[in-house]
Amino acid sequence: MIRQTLVPLLTALAFLPAPRLAAQAPADLAAERAAFTDWLIHSPVSPYAAVSAAPLDPAGVGLELGGRTARIVERNGAAWLEGAGAPRVLPRNRPALVGTTTVLVTGEPPRSRVMLFGAGRRAVAPAYYPYDPALVFSGTLVAPTAPGSERVLTPDGVEVEATVAGTVTVPLGGGTTLRVLRLPDPGSEESSLEIYFRDGTSGTGSYPAGRFVTLAPIAGGRYRLDFNRSRNPFCAYNAAYPCPAPWRGNTIAVPVAAGERYESHP
Amino acid sequence: MILPALLLALVSPPASPAGNWRAVLDLAGGELRFSLNVRPAGRVLRGSICNGRSCTPLSGIRVAGDTVVLEMADYAATITSVLRGDSLTGIYHNVGNRGPRTIPFRASRGRWRIEPASADLLGSWDATFVTDGRSSPRVLLFSNDSSGFIGAMMSNTGDYGRFWGRAEADSFRLAHFDGSFVYMLTGRLDGDTLRGIFHAGLRTQTAFTAVRTTGRPHLRSPTEMTSADTSAPFRFAFPGLDGRTVANTDLRFRGKVVLLDVFGTWCPTCHEASPMLVDLYRRYHGRGLEIVGLAYEVTGDTAVDAPLVRRFQVTHRVPYPLLLAGTSDVASAAATLPQLQGFTSFPTSIFLGRDGRVRLVYAGFLGAATGAQHDRQVAEFRATIERLLAEPPR
Repeated sequence: MIRQTLVPLLTALAFLPAPRLAAQAPADLAAERAAFTDWLIHSPVSPYAAVSAAPLDPAGVGLELGGRTARIVERNGAAWLEGAGAPRVLPRNRPALVGTTTVLVTGEPPRSRVMLFGAGRRAVAPAYYPYDPALVFSGTLVAPTAPGSERVLTPDGVEVEATVAGTVTVPLGGGTTLRVLRLPDPGSEESSLEIYFRDGTSGTGSYPAGRFVTLAPIAGGRYRLDFNRSRNPFCAYNAAYPCPAPWRGNTIAVPVAAGERYESHP
Repeated sequence: MILPALLLALVSPPASPAGNWRAVLDLAGGELRFSLNVRPAGRVLRGSICNGRSCTPLSGIRVAGDTVVLEMADYAATITSVLRGDSLTGIYHNVGNRGPRTIPFRASRGRWRIEPASADLLGSWDATFVTDGRSSPRVLLFSNDSSGFIGAMMSNTGDYGRFWGRAEADSFRLAHFDGSFVYMLTGRLDGDTLRGIFHAGLRTQTAFTAVRTTGRPHLRSPTEMTSADTSAPFRFAFPGLDGRTVANTDLRFRGKVVLLDVFGTWCPTCHEASPMLVDLYRRYHGRGLEIVGLAYEVTGDTAVDAPLVRRFQVTHRVPYPLLLAGTSDVASAAATLPQLQGFTSFPTSIFLGRDGRVRLVYAGFLGAATGAQHDRQVAEFRATIERLLAEPPR
């Protein structure tokens, strides 16, 4: 099989604006980052507001409610809240307010997880490397030889069955082939082609365990791989989240100084 | 010269977004077109987003200076835009657990041109979607109406709402945007085969091929998706909007035919199904039909969910009880209705005979966009109710 290479997008767009303008983050990326920062600081299910995460095992998860303890238990495939009035089913993949605590049940049985969120939070905007147009690539995805799947953690630490989508090769570090998995978006027709990678900045400017970057479809069956859109897993914001283990082989030997940075917070 | 212009600017009313707009979401696969209509209603503005003749009302429109915010509260979504002359530019935004989703939005004043498709594209197509080597079936229905080229897409769990768009020679582009779902079908006719891409949101593209429907079943029947325990009366007991529990054992249901509508206010197809259910109730209630809506809502918190269900009741003028049954996922519905097996979709219609036992479970709803299939479903619902009403009371 001939392995196709993702080529720098600028090669194909040689007549685009001068370097000074090109070095500015495009408007859609700026809007995306602004919306994410707003969500991070204000959403009730922001990683900054997470208090704890626990597997929803048969013993259930306790929840303090004004001096008494309610429990969340899994029964018949659903998460039930008991001990807080009549038993009721909690939504899955959507937040629910129980007393003053926001509860988020994620994952699928028997690997469901309960996240609890409180009111306290930091108001720290994510930090990013300067936009680097040389780290935007386009190309095709090389399909796997046979369908397959792997159990992995999503950016927010939920265990899912991801399908093996293929590989891409980028001209970094002498040419690096990266594995691509399709992560499902529960309850929707949408999914995303994700690469979880480490590089020369991991632990020295970016998050040590790695960063996620999404392959975005463009015309003609091709994809854009923009490392400026690399983002941290949620465990980078709050240790309550399980942290995805680095994906086998997805290490770029040179620094990829683009996308989200990481500075540890006390 | 400057002073009069300045005075004019000071006394001129701010620009209004009222009117008809050609609206676009910019997806990776090209522009997703829809219509945006805004009109004054007293001191406020009302509006809707439309895919051809199928429109979804906006829950609110806020204008502050040149900023126009279109709200879709049912789906926790907004379009925030800036009005400059005859154009609106901004972003569509809704929120998930992993952060917000943003899609570039733009609109210009006016109405979209009507661009019907040629006869070669029209009709029913059996499609096969392929993702990462795995395939799944769909049925595509294409037709023309007064708004132009329209379509519908059905899977084993229901339909995706009305698609609207345009065709040019053998190529087509159809879209469905209701404030929550962002779908687009693009493709072309290649000999006898349709080849295209289904776009969902910004990130997901699924290739498909389709051939003309042969008549052999391509999808599972909606009546075979979900089964039920018929050895005993079907049990349900949930609080109504007034807080009082409504149960299958209540006297009002004894000896009656009961249709349970498992729905959610967050589910566009459920909104589309509601007028048919209201019509069935008006036709058959006097002869012994009861309908009960079982609402599976987003939060499971009565304080949040009850107002949404009440608004649904008012919007669709629902005359039958709506109960707060659970939260908006398949597992919740399956857990709270344990006599069902294989619950897959919202809405699901459960028909109970006069003895209280399940006679038929119909998964999904084929909206008006599916044309003859919608008509067939309505006819099947009526025939089922007529048949059950004709049975002697036990």
